Parts: sequence; structure tokens; C-alpha cells
Amino acid sequence: MRVLIQLRPSPDLVAAVADPSVPSMASDVADGLPGVVLDHSYAPVAVPRPMPASPGGDPLSLNQPLVFSMAPQDASVVVRGEIADDEVTSRVALLPAARRDVVAVYADPAIETTLTCGGDPAVGDWHDVERLLRVPDLTAEGLDGSGVPLAVIDTGINAAYVKSARGHDVTVDHERSWNPQSVSGTPGDFPVDHGTMCAFDALIAAPKASLVDVPVLLSRRQGGSTLDGLLSDAIAAYAHLREVLDAQPAESRALVVTNSWGSFSPRWDFPPGHPGNYSDNPAHPFNLIVGSLAEAGADILFAAGNCGTQCRDSRCAYPDRPIVGANSHPRALSIGGIDTTGTRVGYSSQGPGRLAARKPDVCAYTHFAGSGALGDGEPDSGTSAACPVAAGLVAAVRSRWPSTVLPPAQLRTLLRRTADDRSAVGYDHDYGYGVVDAAGIIAALRRRAAKAA
Amino acid sequence: MAEVLITVRLAAPATLEEAMRRLGLAEDEVDTAYGLVPVDPGRNLYVLRVAEEAGRRVGDSGTGTADGGPYSDPPIEPYGPPR
Repeated sequence: MRVLIQLRPSPDLVAAVADPSVPSMASDVADGLPGVVLDHSYAPVAVPRPMPASPGGDPLSLNQPLVFSMAPQDASVVVRGEIADDEVTSRVALLPAARRDVVAVYADPAIETTLTCGGDPAVGDWHDVERLLRVPDLTAEGLDGSGVPLAVIDTGINAAYVKSARGHDVTVDHERSWNPQSVSGTPGDFPVDHGTMCAFDALIAAPKASLVDVPVLLSRRQGGSTLDGLLSDAIAAYAHLREVLDAQPAESRALVVTNSWGSFSPRWDFPPGHPGNYSDNPAHPFNLIVGSLAEAGADILFAAGNCGTQCRDSRCAYPDRPIVGANSHPRALSIGGIDTTGTRVGYSSQGPGRLAARKPDVCAYTHFAGSGALGDGEPDSGTSAACPVAAGLVAAVRSRWPSTVLPPAQLRTLLRRTADDRSAVGYDHDYGYGVVDAAGIIAALRRRAAKAA
Repeated sequence: MAEVLITVRLAAPATLEEAMRRLGLAEDEVDTAYGLVPVDPGRNLYVLRVAEEAGRRVGDSGTGTADGGPYSDPPIEPYGPPR
């Protein structure tokens, strides 16, 4: 988290900072602040002291008359720095005690007016995403998704549409696909909708992956909308995927599972702290089966959600910490969204997550002109698109690196470690560890292969 | 009928009938089409979808014959496009 730190150093130092003819640096004023990475590009700024214009007045009043003193014994100095997101509370509390010249620590929020929001036009197209994911380099390494089952847990896939939109053949693995009890239909032959977008986006980085069609969100519940299901259907789907995984020979074991869905509201859940709760409870059966499938060798990715503070989806009903349940599972990757300029989209949910605090894990591309499955001219959008884009990258890796050689936990670490960091102190709750970086992944895999040889 | 989830531990290969017998559940209290779903084969853990009333009765807070529950079964929705 970026912060502004207000200090009251010696009057001589304040006078020097206030004098425009004297160059001063952050380290002159605030060197050695524990847990703070100082921004040395930000010159310290002298800040006047507000004082009531008449005796007995409130110096912080917005209504009473004030005067401002830049006298060295009154003024203070502000510097800029960063504190790790998961240390903010303790550092802010400890800093004034550790350093007597620290007056206060304030948030320094980004002033942004141009974040991409829902309803905005596409930012770039899927060929830009191909370029950003270095798909030719992946292909040259043999990382194209060949032989890798990629399960799309969604509204069903229309393979003919994906083929037409991509201009290439698409493989649907009919044998491994699965329908919930209330859903009839043939794998790869469902109406064009959200799941078709996810399939298209997953194939950007893994064009030769085998799509496993799991239309859980088409299951019906009483009073539900046309596109929602129940978490119990997802449990049944994961039980099926466990059979798929266990049936594979160890030497080629791989299964990538992309989940661009979640629970928007606590209304249907038991409250946090109740033993039957889902959002915050690692013992809920769905959270258990996600952990179990990941331990058995599956790579599981969840969209972080579209409840970012700048332009949240109107369905978001959690008052805070909107990355809930399995979308914040420690054994899954939680994927935030950036546009093709590398900037976080305003609707991408921010952490901390409810099951694991460090969510989202990483960000991937969204809001680009892609499948058109959501309507003519509509971008592939939401963290719904970012998740399968990242899942495609994982599937590409799996074409040469089965889970018995590179276990899912190690692959998750690899993605986090190689991500293009967007802050000065590593992890942050907007971008996670950063933006997925195919070049970094390729380099790390080469090093790993060389070490193993 | 509002439904909830309960978990039960049974030696594999387990059947729904066996689970219902263990938990003392009648057929009209259980979503038999959903069946008995394995959650973690290594731990012999299974899940059933049951009527809310039955879930309260056999779950942790009731007679305790279930391994866990009743757990919520919330609706899930696609995360896109942002509205």
C-alpha cells in the first residue's frame, strides 16, 4: 500500500525542505523507517501547520477561520513510501512508537479517472492478448496445450462458434465432459453464451487443449435466473473431475479447471462463523473438494470477481472482502483482471480474500475484443475473461510439464514468482503478485529443465 | 423445498441407501437424483443434498449422526459481463 508519512524533524531540516533553493531527498528526512520502502523519486514536501485564527479554536476545523504557519518549529514534512499490504495495520501502529519524529501515516490512493469499467468499449483485441502472452514463444517451446484437458465450468460451450470465431479447429473431449442431473445437451453444442466466451479465451494461449465441457451454471433451481446453478452442482462436477484425473496415467497427468463464477451475495449463505457457512469456511464441502482435487494434481483457477471498488458489478452484495469461498481458496489461483494496456480494470475485485488473505494471486487480460459471444461488439470482459486467459497459459505449460513432475502448488508458486510486479513491495491487493508473464515462465521452466538434466 | 448439504463418512464403495440408513433419513428428505457425491476419497467423505429440516436434525447441531453440516448451498452465477 502506498502511504504518505508525516514527520516533524528538527527545525533546521524543516527549513531546508521548505527552501526551494536547497535540494533535499526523502532519505535526508526519513531514512531507516522500519517496514517502509521510501520512494526516493518523491522529494519531501514541507506542510504548514494549521492554527486557529483566534484563541481556543479548533486547528482541524473545516468551518472556523485558520492561519497556516510555515515556521520551521511549526511545519512538518511529508515523504512517500510503500508498506506491504499485509503489514499495514501493524506498521502504522508501530511507526510513531519506533520513531518519535513520525507524526502520522496516511493512505495515498491512486488518482485515476480512466480505469476500464463495465460498458466501456474493448481495449485492444485477442490478438493483442496473444502477443502479450507470447504465444509464438510458447508454441516454439512446445507449450500449446496439446493433450491437456481444460475443464470449463460454466454455461456450456458452443464449439462451432468458437471454431468460427478463432478460425481454427477446436477439440471438445466428449468422454470427459459432464452435465449436472438437470441439464440435458451435448458437450460442445450448448447455446452461445458466457461459457463459449471462456472457452475461446482459454484457447488463446493453449490452442490445442482439449475442452472439457461442464455446464454447471445451466442447472436450474426454483426461482433462479436462466444462468445460475447451485454450489452443490459444482461439488458433483468436481467429483467427476476427480475421476477424470485419477484415470490418467501418472506420466501425463494434467487437468486445468477454469471457474469464472461465484457467489455474489451472502443472502443465501449462513453467516461467517456459522459452521455451515461457505464464504469464510474452509470446511465447507465445496472448499474441501477444491483442496482435494488440487492435491490430486489439478490446476484450479477462479475469477476474483467483479466487485472492484472503482466500478463494482451491481450484483455485488458483500459489504467488504468480496473474494469469497473457493474464489479465495489457498490451493487455487484467484485471477484479477487488467486491460491490454496493463492497467487493472476498475471492476476487478481487490483483496484480501476470505479463505486466504493474499488474493487475488495474479492478474490476466480482459475487456478485449475477442469471441463476441456476449453480443456483437461486446468485449470479452469481467474477471470472467481474465480467468480462462490465465487458465490457457497454465494449460500451455502442462503440455510439457505434467502435474507429477511439476505439482500444482509449485506451478502456482511459479506463476506468482514470475509475475510482472506492479508495486514496489511485491504483493498488493489490487494486482496480487502482478501480471502473468509468459516470458518469465518460459525462462523459469528452461532453468528447471536444465537443472533436472 | 430449501435444501442444504450434509457430509458423512462411509467406507468405499458407499451407496446412497447406506448413507440414508446411517443418518436416519427418509427418501422424501433426500435429493436422490443428486445422490451421494464423494468429496474426498482419501478420507471416505461424502456429501448429500437434503431438506433443510432434515439437515438440521442430522447435522452437527442436531443428533450429530452426520460428519458435518448443515452447510449452505448458495446459488452461483457467471462473473460477467460486469453489470
